[in-house]
Amino acid sequence: MAARGRSRRTLSFSVDSVGINRGESLPPTLQQPTPVFPVMEQKPLPLTGGEEAEYLLALKQDFRGAMRSLPCFIQPAAALRDVERYSDKYHSSEHTDGLMDWTPDWQRFPRELRIHARKPARDGVSVARSDAQSAQKKKKKKVREKEEVLIKLETLQKKEEQQSEEDDDDDNTEQKKKQEDDDADGDEEYDEEEFEEVILYVTCDGSNQSVWTGSGLTEGSVLQETDYIMSYFDNGEDFGGDSDDNMDEAIY
Amino acid sequence: MTAQEVRLCGLLLHEHFGEVVEKVGTHLLRSGAQNLRTIIHETGLSVDLVKKSLMVLVQHGACLFSSGRKGPGSPTEYRSGCDRILRILRYPRYIYTAKTLYGDTGELVVEELLQRGHMTMSGTVKTVADRLTQNMEEGRSMDYSEVSSAFSKLVETHFLQRCPNPAAGATPAAPGTPAAPASAIPPTPESFPDCYKVPHMTLVGRGKRQLAAEDGEDQRNAKRQKMDSEAHGDEGIYWQVNFERFHLHFRDQAIISAVANKLDQTSSEIVRTMLRMSEVTTSPAATCTKPLSANEIFRSLPASYNIPRPILDQYLTLLVDDPMEFVGKAGESGGGMYVVNLHRALANLARATLESVVQERFGSRSARIFRLLLRKRHLEQKQVEDFAMIPAKEAKDMLYTLLSQNLVQLQEIPKTPDYAPSRTFYLYTVNQLPTARMLLQNCYKTVANLIERRLFESKESKRLLEKSQRIEAILASLQASGAEPEQLTEVEEMITAPEKQQLDALKLHINKLDSAENQVDETIFLLESYVNSTATSTG
Repeated sequence: MAARGRSRRTLSFSVDSVGINRGESLPPTLQQPTPVFPVMEQKPLPLTGGEEAEYLLALKQDFRGAMRSLPCFIQPAAALRDVERYSDKYHSSEHTDGLMDWTPDWQRFPRELRIHARKPARDGVSVARSDAQSAQKKKKKKVREKEEVLIKLETLQKKEEQQSEEDDDDDNTEQKKKQEDDDADGDEEYDEEEFEEVILYVTCDGSNQSVWTGSGLTEGSVLQETDYIMSYFDNGEDFGGDSDDNMDEAIY
Repeated sequence: MTAQEVRLCGLLLHEHFGEVVEKVGTHLLRSGAQNLRTIIHETGLSVDLVKKSLMVLVQHGACLFSSGRKGPGSPTEYRSGCDRILRILRYPRYIYTAKTLYGDTGELVVEELLQRGHMTMSGTVKTVADRLTQNMEEGRSMDYSEVSSAFSKLVETHFLQRCPNPAAGATPAAPGTPAAPASAIPPTPESFPDCYKVPHMTLVGRGKRQLAAEDGEDQRNAKRQKMDSEAHGDEGIYWQVNFERFHLHFRDQAIISAVANKLDQTSSEIVRTMLRMSEVTTSPAATCTKPLSANEIFRSLPASYNIPRPILDQYLTLLVDDPMEFVGKAGESGGGMYVVNLHRALANLARATLESVVQERFGSRSARIFRLLLRKRHLEQKQVEDFAMIPAKEAKDMLYTLLSQNLVQLQEIPKTPDYAPSRTFYLYTVNQLPTARMLLQNCYKTVANLIERRLFESKESKRLLEKSQRIEAILASLQASGAEPEQLTEVEEMITAPEKQQLDALKLHINKLDSAENQVDETIFLLESYVNSTATSTG
């Protein structure tokens, strides 16, 4: 501000018109950025309360919560930790179930966005497909009755043998598509639990023994095709990380 | 697309759609129109995730796609706009308005559509009926026809509209324009004649209640529901919420409440009647409503307000003479022709907002200077001191503070061509529109800060929150399976008293921050409407 014109202390603007009188000092120059949380001389007004504001608040929080459970809430697969663990095989597919719940109308989207990945049909969730195909399948299904159940059982067994090979691939290759075409027809429409009541009538080999218990089965084991509930695969890394505040009881 | 807007959009996308969609969305916002390959390459995400995010964004109307710039053969380009994403802040207000106008059914219809983006009428009706049935008592269920009628009413009053058909790769063929160049503007929903026509739909039935405990039967029912997606006669017709119509409604409400605050209840009722009568005849971008004669207004007043005709005329005269200029007189026929000046009302409301901001931040004397400058346009330093009746030293201080905050500008008027300081007038002035824009950006920044603070607070107490959620889940399951009170109290005691206090304080803070977001959004709406109204009238 102190211009070096003619080695006289003149400022770049006229002193009189801006209103600084002689003898008053200008405010001190700033030497660093203003503080991040400056002290406020005037406190802000309090929020308006009232019924409407509370109802709007409740609506907002409910909406947020509801969006989290919808299929449009996309979460990437959790990053792998330092060492591969045995339980990853069973944990990894838990999160991805919700993604294909939503069958969009493909005519409204550009063709390049179509995802043709078909997850293994054990999820029992229908994959995006054209209307013609699904109508055809429904017709087929109405025609086929309990006779098809036996064929389905055999394919189930075949599928179980294929499970270990498929688990590593995320995207299905063409061969699997052809093989699964027959299985997928009926499987897609039935939930996993549907098989239970059917299987009870037919003998099956030892690999399906757990199914005998019928309704006693928990969801976790059937979805993941194991004989154990999913908490069996907790590898104990979460233990002890919980609240240690209450130190009354020692942890052994 | 300012930096603040992009930051706020990123936070909103993150909260509602997850971090993958946030990455893709913010990338699109920053870089403009791009094709799929570029997006995949620059965001570094996997192809599947990018595709899914784009689908989610398109589904919710946040992203538009069109054929590429180089002609019909080039890959489709996706572009995104801040406006649509910023609407997410206003969703609670839309839902609440639907509730006040059309009851619980309307509320749920709008909520479903907001959650899903686009939906068919049959899908919406079924889901809403199920949800309503869930909350009714045992044995009663909601009929589809009731929900359909609520839906139709919403469509009639233009709160819902059909989604425009997307240009399938090429431009939509307008009849008679062969080989038109790729149009840059996607068709607006209003350009379709059937925009507000309710399709003929065959949907008969009642809502289904979801039975919790019976697994086997439930599976069979679920299977039957999946099988029965038979055509209801409205395939391919998707509906979305018409935000503009809601905004017009909010604008009308703001004007009515301003009149009620400034004058009295009766005047606000008169203005409300006038606005209601001109709802269908006024276009959204109109400067003022169509002229209404005093006779018509008198006839259309609600029955509860039986004021005699001369009193009505007096009220109208008062409204016209008021400096806020909400109502103007457009002629003398029919007992006097009156209009509501929409744009001027918005400008005045924005001005009141600016004044109150200055008052709350800098004190009432600075606000007096600010109002003075708004009214008198250009004033010299000396004149400011005189008109505001504030001692010179304090006036100077306040002016400089306002100047440093950019609320007041300095205009130089030279007497000589060389702009010599001793021979130049320096006038202080306030420009309403740029100041309003600046405050709007401040509001966006405020909301973004509020969201970040809320996320920070929940992250700090994440462990505590998870613990309390687990305990609630245990309590719920115990109660469902019928446990004794001792067990319940035992489980409740797993949270210690200081933890409970901490939880309560946390809940209070989060509620405050959320409520503050809602209220800042009201200011955002006012300022945005004002800025948009000036754009349409001058542009």
